[in-house]
Amino acid sequence: MSTALASARIGTRVRIAKVSLEGEAAAWLGAVGLDGGEELVVLRRAALGGPLHVRTASGGEFAIGREVAEHIAVEPVT
Amino acid sequence: MSAACHEAPPSGKKERHGSGADEEPARDASARAVVALVGRPNSGKSSLYNMLTGGNAHVGNYPGITVEILEGDVELPSGAKATIADLPGLYSVEATVDTGTDEGVARTFLDASRSRGERMTIVQVIDPTRLALGLRLTRELLRAGQPVLVVLTHKDVLRAEGHALDVSALEGAIGAPVLLVSTRDRSARAAVLGAIDDRLRVGVDGAQGRGNFDPARVASMVVRDVGEAREKARRKVTERLDRVLLHPAIGPFLFVGLMALLFAAVFLVADPASAVMDKVVGWGRAGIGSLLGGGLLASFLSDGVLGGAGTVLAFMPQIVILTVALELLEASGYLARGAFLVDRALRLLGLSGRSFLPLLMGHACAVPAISSTRIIRDPRERLTTILVLPLMTCSARLPTYGLVLAAFFSERSPLFRASVFVALYFAGILSGLLASAVLRRTATKGKGLPLVLEMPAYRIPQARVVVRKGVSAARRFLREVGTTIVAVSAVLWVLLTVPMPGSEKAATPIESSVAAAIGRAAEPITRPAGFDWRIDVGLIGSFGAREVMVGTMGVIFGIENAADDPSPLTERLREAKKPDGSPLYGARTGLALLAFFVLACQCMSTVAAIKRETGSYKWPALVLAYTYALGYAAAVAVYQLGGLLGLS
Repeated sequence: MSTALASARIGTRVRIAKVSLEGEAAAWLGAVGLDGGEELVVLRRAALGGPLHVRTASGGEFAIGREVAEHIAVEPVT
Repeated sequence: MSAACHEAPPSGKKERHGSGADEEPARDASARAVVALVGRPNSGKSSLYNMLTGGNAHVGNYPGITVEILEGDVELPSGAKATIADLPGLYSVEATVDTGTDEGVARTFLDASRSRGERMTIVQVIDPTRLALGLRLTRELLRAGQPVLVVLTHKDVLRAEGHALDVSALEGAIGAPVLLVSTRDRSARAAVLGAIDDRLRVGVDGAQGRGNFDPARVASMVVRDVGEAREKARRKVTERLDRVLLHPAIGPFLFVGLMALLFAAVFLVADPASAVMDKVVGWGRAGIGSLLGGGLLASFLSDGVLGGAGTVLAFMPQIVILTVALELLEASGYLARGAFLVDRALRLLGLSGRSFLPLLMGHACAVPAISSTRIIRDPRERLTTILVLPLMTCSARLPTYGLVLAAFFSERSPLFRASVFVALYFAGILSGLLASAVLRRTATKGKGLPLVLEMPAYRIPQARVVVRKGVSAARRFLREVGTTIVAVSAVLWVLLTVPMPGSEKAATPIESSVAAAIGRAAEPITRPAGFDWRIDVGLIGSFGAREVMVGTMGVIFGIENAADDPSPLTERLREAKKPDGSPLYGARTGLALLAFFVLACQCMSTVAAIKRETGSYKWPALVLAYTYALGYAAAVAVYQLGGLLGLS
């Protein structure tokens, strides 16, 4: 049961299930540390549809643009 | 494009070129070895570089961004010599990237060094509080067969946060040597140099690491939690700060307030500092006067050359202060938060949070800001940012703003003048954003790369690194902008002094000069904007560098040293009369002139920087054409509208 990262609830733990972006963009996400299997928590959203602030299990924090987050499918971590 | 980036180094600094054909002789096994410092942005690379080289080597870069490949020479414990090269921030050597960006530059360097067969080792700098992220790059480097030495910085932070790291377990897991240091600890230098020595001795073949480990698993295996309550609380510092600084309502207010404070501070501190610089130039002039008397040569040296030098020096404090302030914001980790906060607004106009730092820097000087666009990964966004940067209100516009406001609005309240000043800043930002919205729909149309920005933990900036950046900012400003200003000033002196052949003797020598003749020829074009030949001469002079406007107007109105003390010039401007007795300039001419200065790219240094970064003449030509067209149109519109509204 996966949803888009963009609509994940703030504070809940999720795992990246699938990144549906074209090659270059997906590779870039992987390079910075956001690829399939990575667990993360959405810390906050910037106002008026701005980027998401997430923290990954490996310790990194990122600002992710809303439209990218639409293409990252996540599933809840139980 | 990559060639352009590597050929970019301005003269006077030793830099490594992307191509092998540079002035250095071919390296043999006994020759100087190359140590490439690589790492993700904010990994502590600048601090390590500073520690290893003492910071006074061949440096010269801008806030947080290592825009050029800088080198410093060190002697290793074995007596061998090595060159430490500080590469720009790098996330990956596998993902594709535009060669014009910081990452592209770093990768071109590594590839070129490898293909030349140099004695080279890579020192990868990792922030151990984000070990798993750093190890991704380690894995890629090892997979590519590169000799790697891992240096974990921030040992102090790791300990303060209650973590312990098992260095030998990490070495075993990745198959490469690892050091854990604090760059604040000077004794760590010897340890790092010793490890580099060992690494170089082993060579590439004897140093195959493992390229197949799982970064997250390795990181969780080697880092242990030994923290007690106090240390665990320290881990939450960033989180707690973010709760306030990124608060949806409070965050943006704090951000705008901080930016306002920053600019206010620049002016408060820069003003007395500029006064000191002016005094120094004044002494120089007096010296020339007493040495050479009042001849033509003395006038050339004093007004032409030294006048230009004075203009340059007057800007130095602002550039340095703004650079230092931005470096403090960058090193503390706040700039990434700023990018997070403004991303949405910039996105409306086809840019993103990534363009934020260059646009902010553009308010000091567009030249370093254009170089700093290399942090933008998306080529189209980068180009758009470069094209709109000249519209930001750089510090060189301020003297002209000040002159016009003092000359034409002195009877209005200080509050009124201050609000016009602020409005001019916003006019610059607004026009830049509008221009980017248009460009993104036309010249730089296309799909952009997604925004993913790393948000570093908050850190206390290291004074030595910040000072180094301030010094190199000053140097670079002198070299790239200062020389243009002095040259323009000297040429202008000649044009203002040499009489136009065949012209009749006028009341003052200037009125019959070559410059005046050119100005008069331009009058029909600029009359709709309310400019006469005097302003035209000023504008022609400031085509090369807008800084010289005030000085030129001073010469035209026959006032010595106008750049040092503008008050007599403002009076002359205000009281200048046409032959029929009506005032020469009214408030609407002043407003039209301001409109022109907001928009026109009167800066050859900026044009040269755009040429260098884009590698083509097309883009600088576009910038000149569109900013001058906008500036002229705005000036005419303001002047004509002012007339309709009954302004004098």
